[in-house]
Amino acid sequence: MKFHISRQSLYLLILSLVLLLFVLLFAFIFLIPKGKEYRIERLEMKKYRVEKMQYQQYHDETFEKLKRLQSDHKRVITAYDAMFNAKRFVKLNKDYFVSLLLKPLERIADEDDFIVYEVNTTSRIDSPQSFYNFLDGINKSEWIVEVNFPIHFERDDKYIRSSFTMHVYNKKQ
Amino acid sequence: MRHSFIKSRPKKLISSELRLVLSFFSVTLFMLLSTYGFLAYKTYAFGSSVKRYQMQTETLKVALDEMDVKISFIEKEASTSEKVFTANTVLKESIKNLFDLVPERITLSQAQLEKNALVLYGVTPNKEIYEFMLQAPLRSIFHRTYSSFYPLENGWYRFVSTNYLDDEDL
Repeated sequence: MKFHISRQSLYLLILSLVLLLFVLLFAFIFLIPKGKEYRIERLEMKKYRVEKMQYQQYHDETFEKLKRLQSDHKRVITAYDAMFNAKRFVKLNKDYFVSLLLKPLERIADEDDFIVYEVNTTSRIDSPQSFYNFLDGINKSEWIVEVNFPIHFERDDKYIRSSFTMHVYNKKQ
Repeated sequence: MRHSFIKSRPKKLISSELRLVLSFFSVTLFMLLSTYGFLAYKTYAFGSSVKRYQMQTETLKVALDEMDVKISFIEKEASTSEKVFTANTVLKESIKNLFDLVPERITLSQAQLEKNALVLYGVTPNKEIYEFMLQAPLRSIFHRTYSSFYPLENGWYRFVSTNYLDDEDL
């Protein structure tokens, strides 16, 4: 039996084999490794996206907390930033005193985040109630002021002469 | 003179069947290469996204650290101011209580308040009123109380009351 194959069929056979070989080689050398790389990169990207979203959420929550704190303690924050002004202090508190004199501000302590200034005060009041009102009012003032010892009261005719020390807290710049 | 009954046709190197097969092969190759191209592009895009997410995460971390510092500072400011306000209020109540403690028959001329001491100067009609109405309550507050009396011409006494708190109670 004579096996005859035409020239066209031979071309077709060779071309098919070449193509098959090319497809197999291409798949194993390029396509499959690239597919693996694609899968790994996709997983990696998802991992980083989830991490970024978690940080974003935490960031948003922290930002909200910061804004809330800034809003709740607005007066205190401003008070720590404000430099003590003796003239303004006297002007704001003159209603509590018959007279009020402040000595110059003296820096007495450097804490971690704050600077503490001391100011000595002499004043005259018409009744102890004025001093109580002053102590109530000082907690709402433009500065963080702590009235400190020593405190001295002395009768002076119909008035009371008083002297006391104040500590003013400022934020370190 | 004709030697065949059919008309001769031109011979081609690529027959129409082979052309059909080649076009199928071309489509196959195109699909293979485009799949590779798609995978390569997406891999590159994922890599870029990873870098972008990493950068955004780092930026968020820095911002978070800054905000944490600000939050802890505001909390510290708030707690320090709260201590100051409380100290002022306590001081006011202490002075108020001190003046409320002095009976009407005793007149104070001076009061010196220290961190752990109180010195009162004044006049009293007699020693008994002073001892029962002023010294007794002062003794219940302070650990050590000392009193001195100086007689006046009108029979009253000028007194100096010195009172101390020991350190353990400060």
